[in-house]
Amino acid sequence: MANIFPRSFNLSPFKVLFCLGVVGITIILGLWYYATPKTLRVGYQPAQPIPFDHSIHVGQVGLDCRYCHSFVDESSHSNIPSANTCWNCHSHIKKESPKLEPLRRAMDKDYEFYDGKAIEWVRVHKSPDYVYFNHSAHVNRGVSCKSCHGNVDEMDVVYQAETHSMSFCLDCHRNPEDHLRPLEEVYNLDYDAAEFIKNNPQLGVSTQQELGEFLKKKWSIHPKESCSTCHR
Amino acid sequence: MSKRQWFHPELKEDKQVKSTQAWRSSAELASEPSFVNKFDIEFPEGDTLTEEEAELSRRSFVKLMGASTALAGMGMVACRRPEKYIMPYKQAPEWVIPGKAVYYATAMPTAKGGVPLLASSHEGRPTKLESNTLANKRGGTDAFAQASILNLYSPDRSKEFLFQGQVSSQADFQNALPSIAAKLSDANSAFVVAKDDSPSRERALKQLKQTYPKAKFYAYEALEADSAISQKVVINLSKAQRILSLDADFLGLDKQADVAGFYANRFVEGADYDQKVDKNKINRLYVVEPNFSETGGLADHRMRLAPSQVAKLTVALGQFIAEATGDATLGSITKGSGVKSSLTDKDLIWAKEAAKDLVTKKGKSLVLIGSGYDDALKALVLAMNVALGATSNIIKALPNTDSVELGSLADLKNDLAAKKVKTLVWLSPANPFYDAPSDYKFEELTQSVEAFIHFGERATPVAKAATWHIPAAHYLESWGDVKDVNGKVLLIQPLILPLYEGISELELLLAFNTQVLATANETGSVASPAYDFVKQTSALTEAKWRNALKRGFIADKVSLVPFTVNGSELVSIAKKGLSALVKQAAPTGQAVEVVFKADSSVWDGRYINNAWLQEAPDPIVKLTWDNAAWISPKTAEALGVYDKEIGLIGMNPIFKKPNSAISDAKDKEGPNRTAPVIKLKVNGAELEIPVIIAFGQAENVLTLPVGYGQFFDKHRKSDFKKGFDAQKHAQGSSERESYVGVNAGFNVYSLRTSANLYYATGATVATTKVRYKLAMTQEHHNMYGRALAREVSTQGDFKANLHSVKKHGVDSHAPENISLYKSKGSKVWHGDGVSAPNLLSDKIHQWGMAIDLNVCTGCNACLVACQAENNIPVVGKEQVAMGREMHWIRMDRYYAVVDGADEDNPEMIPQPVACAQCESAPCETVCPVNATVHTEEGLNAMAYNRCIGTRYCANNCPYKARRFNFFDYNKRNPLIEKNLYKGAAGKKQEGDSTHLQRNPNVSVRMRGVMEKCTYCVQRLEAAKIDQKQALRSKVMASGALSHNVELKPEELRIKHDGVKVACQTACPSDAISFGNLLDKEASRMVRAKGSERNYDLLNYIGTLPRTSYLARVKNPNPAMPGAEFVGQATINMH
Repeated sequence: MANIFPRSFNLSPFKVLFCLGVVGITIILGLWYYATPKTLRVGYQPAQPIPFDHSIHVGQVGLDCRYCHSFVDESSHSNIPSANTCWNCHSHIKKESPKLEPLRRAMDKDYEFYDGKAIEWVRVHKSPDYVYFNHSAHVNRGVSCKSCHGNVDEMDVVYQAETHSMSFCLDCHRNPEDHLRPLEEVYNLDYDAAEFIKNNPQLGVSTQQELGEFLKKKWSIHPKESCSTCHR
Repeated sequence: MSKRQWFHPELKEDKQVKSTQAWRSSAELASEPSFVNKFDIEFPEGDTLTEEEAELSRRSFVKLMGASTALAGMGMVACRRPEKYIMPYKQAPEWVIPGKAVYYATAMPTAKGGVPLLASSHEGRPTKLESNTLANKRGGTDAFAQASILNLYSPDRSKEFLFQGQVSSQADFQNALPSIAAKLSDANSAFVVAKDDSPSRERALKQLKQTYPKAKFYAYEALEADSAISQKVVINLSKAQRILSLDADFLGLDKQADVAGFYANRFVEGADYDQKVDKNKINRLYVVEPNFSETGGLADHRMRLAPSQVAKLTVALGQFIAEATGDATLGSITKGSGVKSSLTDKDLIWAKEAAKDLVTKKGKSLVLIGSGYDDALKALVLAMNVALGATSNIIKALPNTDSVELGSLADLKNDLAAKKVKTLVWLSPANPFYDAPSDYKFEELTQSVEAFIHFGERATPVAKAATWHIPAAHYLESWGDVKDVNGKVLLIQPLILPLYEGISELELLLAFNTQVLATANETGSVASPAYDFVKQTSALTEAKWRNALKRGFIADKVSLVPFTVNGSELVSIAKKGLSALVKQAAPTGQAVEVVFKADSSVWDGRYINNAWLQEAPDPIVKLTWDNAAWISPKTAEALGVYDKEIGLIGMNPIFKKPNSAISDAKDKEGPNRTAPVIKLKVNGAELEIPVIIAFGQAENVLTLPVGYGQFFDKHRKSDFKKGFDAQKHAQGSSERESYVGVNAGFNVYSLRTSANLYYATGATVATTKVRYKLAMTQEHHNMYGRALAREVSTQGDFKANLHSVKKHGVDSHAPENISLYKSKGSKVWHGDGVSAPNLLSDKIHQWGMAIDLNVCTGCNACLVACQAENNIPVVGKEQVAMGREMHWIRMDRYYAVVDGADEDNPEMIPQPVACAQCESAPCETVCPVNATVHTEEGLNAMAYNRCIGTRYCANNCPYKARRFNFFDYNKRNPLIEKNLYKGAAGKKQEGDSTHLQRNPNVSVRMRGVMEKCTYCVQRLEAAKIDQKQALRSKVMASGALSHNVELKPEELRIKHDGVKVACQTACPSDAISFGNLLDKEASRMVRAKGSERNYDLLNYIGTLPRTSYLARVKNPNPAMPGAEFVGQATINMH
């Protein structure tokens, strides 16, 4: 009996399988990519309407975080500065810079393209809407901005430095001593624990962990791990 | 689908204690087997899809799959992290801290007195209203005030100016103002205002009178009676030890005084649970009423009486009081009326003993009468109060001010009929085409008016018929002032610029005066002229004005003057009407009496578009989304509708005869529940309305809640049932005015004439074959068990009675429960010397709640407050019928009759039940995904994101406190027929602003998630975080370096009673106390739990609930008939 399929078909099943495999893997990768929580996206670095450079303002000029994020120690939400905060200085400095065009649109009534509309900054850090993170509860208890946001003072364009996943939160809630520092140093992104320990021998601590333990006890810090701490 | 059977322990026969029969609904009382079986199922019929539903969801699933596949192919990458924007303010406004609420004092104007409020605003949007405790420490709010914030965001609000029914604009109205003003000065005009008492409006009207001398002023609200003797009085209920209410629901819908004083006298341990138990401290309440009211439920002695018979009883009471006190005025009014012979012996004894008790406490006794009664009766009651010495002590008057004369609607009608009014300006929230007495034919009357200007929050048919309709601003958008029930002037302060084109009443009145319609500008840099006007009215200096705005009221003290009565005037008023009133015949089956009652959901009809109120079950009959005629079981039987109402098979325990089954077997409880419709004829008018069995109702009296039946849409057939002719009921234009109020209830106002504003006699009832679909909640989420609500009496050995509370039912022999949260073996929360270590706990906060049934009237204020605070969705009539309402607080209402007592006049006990935060929670052990777990502070936390919707927890909850999101109620509009079943294809919520009301600190739950009371965990966490700032403040204050500053655990504890939950602040009777169990006696809640009346619900199951209840205490008068049966209504359900 003659063969129905010519010899050239011999490899076809493997080719089909290979193609199906590629398609399958692509779909899996696609779903994986799609379903990965957005909070985990370390390195997300969108372009902002004004290329605000934290490394200049914090690193070089030496502004405190709270000059712009003024309610970080008052409120759950760390506010993005209102346009008039920028305009305090920039109505005098580099007003003509093309980079500041959106600010002039919002604030400079003499500017020909003035429209008085608020600036739309692109959100970098986003916790899911069922998470109720409170900034004031952390910065007033010795957790620095840096613990979650990285060295913003060195970023020319802000990016997400940490995962902000639930395990990231829990790691610190379980072992807060790794992150606690004196309240005076919370907004100091250059802070070096070793140096602080060296300068304060009377505390009798030699490592960050020991310092953290000391502060934790002194300030009665007991981070909760129950659901309603963050989910309401 | 049946749940695990839990067999409650048998009740021991106790010869000493009379047994009490308790029930919630007529069907339950009849205990028909199919009902009993139904109760064993968690969600009666609701947990399975009907064929139609299944078909729908299958279809939509396929549709969805198709759509999502297509989408996935097209734009997979586009789905990834959309760019989100943060828009900070351009110019940061003062006070606003993003993420934190700002609070403003304001007030809600009502004809019963303004409600002082504290409104919270999140980034400029008002989200929640609470009582302003500075203005009234224990005032609380009612359900209407709580729900009024929804009116601000209602999609059904009037948003545009209308000129002759066509869309116009504010500018057009401004252009027309000079010609309107010309008309006002040339010819007679009429201004009709609301009945609330506003000093600024008063002043504005005076100015108008000067500008337009031909203008006349009237005041009208549908349910506010016009009375010749209504002097502005302030009644201090805290001074009243004996109160007799003659059909005055003064704790509920007919407020006549500050109720806080009444409740404060109702606690045997003092209102703060800090005094020695003294049964003589509590007041005694006698109530005479035709139907159960919230006040009647709390009464120590209650008599059922038709309104037409109230006159007879009052005169008899008056005679007894006159005889005992020798008061001449009262004697001359009541003498020779011969009513005593026309009363039954039992009623006569009732009146005699009640009068005797009132007289014994002379100077501390008070008689109140329903505001709907005739002047003659009111004059008689006033004379009684004079005789009882109430006018010298309890009743005070507000000083008379030179005020603008306000006519009544009757005066307006006469002026309109005489064609004396050329311009009619309607400023009252009433809808005269709908709620004016039907014999006025108000719509025809207004034909003669040349210019009709209507100002209102809703675009009613009046708005469309008027020359001009002006959209009214909500009170949270307006400046104004209003007097509260104590005469205190409250300031109404806006929290937001008008969302739509609306303007405030004062702005409009000022515009008539100045011919310029000035409002605040969009940026807020120009204030509304109403602001200056209110400020001028207050006559305060700038500093004092600022302070008044901050606190919400002008002066702390209200100057009151003694209440003076002109005796001879009283006699003449009383004599004029009484002789006819006492001759009224008692109602019979052939000549039924009907009562027009304010509705607990829509009031006089103005809240018809408020979905929260519509879905809040009526405190008495537990009906949602509709009104129905309340009828007593015996009257129903006599009229031939009882069997039809409940449609049962088997023996009927009330009538001791077999029930006749109704034909359609499905037509019973649950989603298919329908009620028979009767044809009611009064005064020549006819109305078809369904009936509902109400216990404790006077015989041959039908109670008809008003305010419903405003608009019908015949296309929404699912709202009706068998043979119901929606077309016939559709009134006015076919255009639908609203989403929420469509097809809700029946227009009772059509029966109401100017002669019969409160009740009408001689009605006839005919049965029909028609049935109408009703959604009632009374048989949903049933809780079974022993001694659920407990009650004791002050009679006999009060100490022993109190002591017995903890031993009611099975608790007399149940073993003690052991808490995991306290030291082992410890009986109290705080140090009692037990050395064993705490097993598991947070040593700073342990939350708990106590609910005092003694003062709970079941008014729904907490239920609606919870809905506002916790983003609880409305589910619509269909879903409520299936038992899917989402309220976290379920307001149970039990009827109870002690063996031997009058079966037709049972006691009524309301009991709010929410998640009790059991320490040993049955729900937690059955959750397969740990979505509900315990916190260190004793909360039973719910992690919505973990929930996969198995509903095991709800099935295992003995309190039935859990609610399941069967559909995406928050996102999809549940009010459109079958919309929810369309899934993602369903229409979204109506309106562009309802989401603005949402509390940003509470997750909005989605489909398939279980939810329940959280003890307002968002408030607890916020308070804790605020407390944590103590470290920063301490460091700053001390000037030391932070590592040298110590913060002790106690410093992290919130100040005692420093955090209040939503239901607690809303409660007008202070029945709910909440706090930290570790605060010891400093916390009101701990003191409440220390009371002997305190007991745990279903204690013998061993759930260790954190919410406990305090038993109700009744204070009967031993001489009264039936006193031995009072105070024993402890509820056992099977």
